[in-house]
Amino acid sequence: MRTWFKIALRNLKKNRRRSLITLLAIALGFASVCLFGGFTQYMYDANQEAAIYGRALGHLTVFKQGFLEQGQLDPARYLLTTEEIESIRGICTANPQVVMVTPQLQISGLVSNGKISTIFIAHGLVPSSIDAFMNGMKLFKFLEFEGRKLEDDSPYGVAVAKGLAKLLGLKVGSNAVVLSTTVDGQTNALDMEVFQLLNVDTEFLNNKVMRVPLAFAQQLYDTRGADRMVVLLDRTENTEPVFKQLRTAMQELGLGVEIKTWKQLSQWYQKVRDMFDLIFLFLFVIVFVIVVMSVVNTMSMAVLERTREIGTLRALGLKRRGVLLMFGIESSFLGVFGCGVGLLLTFMVRAWVNFAQPTWTPPGISASVPLKIILLPSYMVSSGIALVALCVLASLLPALRGSRQNIVDALGHV
Amino acid sequence: MRARNGENLLIEMDEVTKIYTLGQTRVEALKGISLKIGYGEFVAVWGPSGSGKTTLLNLIGMIDQPTSGRLCFGGREITSLTDNQQSDLRNQAIGFIFQGFNLIPVLSALENVMLPLQIRGEKLARALPAAQKRLAQVGLGDFIQQRPDKLSGGQRQRVAIARALVTEPSLVIADEPTANLDTTTAMKIVDLMRELNRGENTTFIFSTHDQRLLAQVDRLIDLQDGLIRGEEYRR
Ligand SMILES: Nc1ncnc2c1ncn2[C@@H]1O[C@H](COP(=O)(O)OP(=O)(O)O)[C@@H](O)[C@H]1O
Ligand SMILES: [Mg+2]
Repeated sequence: MRTWFKIALRNLKKNRRRSLITLLAIALGFASVCLFGGFTQYMYDANQEAAIYGRALGHLTVFKQGFLEQGQLDPARYLLTTEEIESIRGICTANPQVVMVTPQLQISGLVSNGKISTIFIAHGLVPSSIDAFMNGMKLFKFLEFEGRKLEDDSPYGVAVAKGLAKLLGLKVGSNAVVLSTTVDGQTNALDMEVFQLLNVDTEFLNNKVMRVPLAFAQQLYDTRGADRMVVLLDRTENTEPVFKQLRTAMQELGLGVEIKTWKQLSQWYQKVRDMFDLIFLFLFVIVFVIVVMSVVNTMSMAVLERTREIGTLRALGLKRRGVLLMFGIESSFLGVFGCGVGLLLTFMVRAWVNFAQPTWTPPGISASVPLKIILLPSYMVSSGIALVALCVLASLLPALRGSRQNIVDALGHV
Repeated sequence: MRARNGENLLIEMDEVTKIYTLGQTRVEALKGISLKIGYGEFVAVWGPSGSGKTTLLNLIGMIDQPTSGRLCFGGREITSLTDNQQSDLRNQAIGFIFQGFNLIPVLSALENVMLPLQIRGEKLARALPAAQKRLAQVGLGDFIQQRPDKLSGGQRQRVAIARALVTEPSLVIADEPTANLDTTTAMKIVDLMRELNRGENTTFIFSTHDQRLLAQVDRLIDLQDGLIRGEEYRR
């Protein structure tokens, strides 16, 4: 075996320039797969974080059975009562992985500055729970509002999207009125004060969205209930097991509720993932083609140049598969060294990213955030193995031709 | 001579032909060769260029297949063997010496000589002393670390001879081994082959078109136009 390694290495060294070009192609391919993979991982992680923490979806959400299908049409019927809220809270807080359980209520209606009015939708949440969510933001960390924080003690202080505020001519400190119908069908109006101007990136939402204290939402709808209980866990990896535990516990109590994970609720996250998976596939196909083409080219030249050598080795008793092995080893060396250089390139780029800290404005985010590359060792190892295997497979094409030729013809080759 | 008694034969050829077809043209390189060679013989195949020497040696060496006829090596019919079986048999029983030396350029003299042993999977601990011994035997004990391109033609052919002998084969085939060498070196190479033939009873078959090299041989096969025109036993 050592002899074949020696032959492979020395031949690669002998054709230094050719080997180097192939090696570089493999290195660039590997580095781009690693770096793009690292960027994709960053996008996954950041969007996961944005869903769970940024949009306060939490890891798990408990609804009344049927809310997701019919809740929009008949909100009153699908609200969780205070008793249900307490039972859910009891079950959840008993689980050691649960960090926070908090009720939320989404409302809609009209908002008016006295002269003009427009529709709004608002997320009603407990102001003191907001920090727990925002503290989870590590990758897309930015100040998402101007003004002051919402407070448990100031139920009329609300946050308004900048687009909506502009529409109504509202500033921090301005007052306005919201109108809606209560769960009993009565018209209700409440005064509000603008505490915050929110950065909302989606055009469609920018002139509609508000964030209000839960008490405000409850008062407008004239209820003490909530439409969901949001559960925050210590670690995102625990989502699935805790999901199953809580679901069983709630079924046993016969609560008539359903529980969803953040993944089930966040279509955005899934869409980002699908898109990046597609881009990644595209990149991988390009890398695949480049690597296969350069390895096939290099090994074809090697087989051609060493035709007489193949004939000699066959005459000395080397079997056909021995010829395949010889070129397979040579090409796997190209793969291994290529990946090695690619790894170096990857780390160099990441070091630069960590040092220069470039910022960018990702889609769905209204501020620029530092770009990161999250390298997963398992991912890099499997890409490296795949690439080396690809090199070996690509070498088989020319090597098969070399191994099958007539020995006498090979020996007579000049 | 055992060969003449027809027993214990190394090679037995019976009406062997070889026809090359190149598109429309057919070349009858061998037109029906019957031949017996015994263990330990030192045989020269002699004839002008194009007479079929290389073709004959290729068939005996199992690196080419006859078009018709029977060819036995050590009592085994070789045309019925698979490619892998023939490869194994070549590795175990046959050593090759080529006109162009055919050393592996990236390997040192020592590594070249060890190659046939490593093809069969021999451990370094056994291949190394065997190769060193053979290189010393051909007078290249001081050149074992040299790459082929640092050696003279005569030295290269000595390395090739050491490589052919390292597996202790029953047969060594040498197709015009001296054609690329000057006369003095050529004589020395033939002397060396003769010495090894006598010392270890290894069968040698070599081809040449140079009459000056024939002084040493036991047996001369005179090939002409794909047929054996005559045979001569010298001793
Ligand atoms: N691969 C081949 N294809 C076609 N014809 C060949 C081939 N090899 C040899 N020949 C022909 O067969 C004949 C015998 O050739 P060869 O065995 O090489 O003779 P020698 O070695 O005595 O010079 C020649 O006429 C040669 O042209
Ligand atoms: Mg010839």
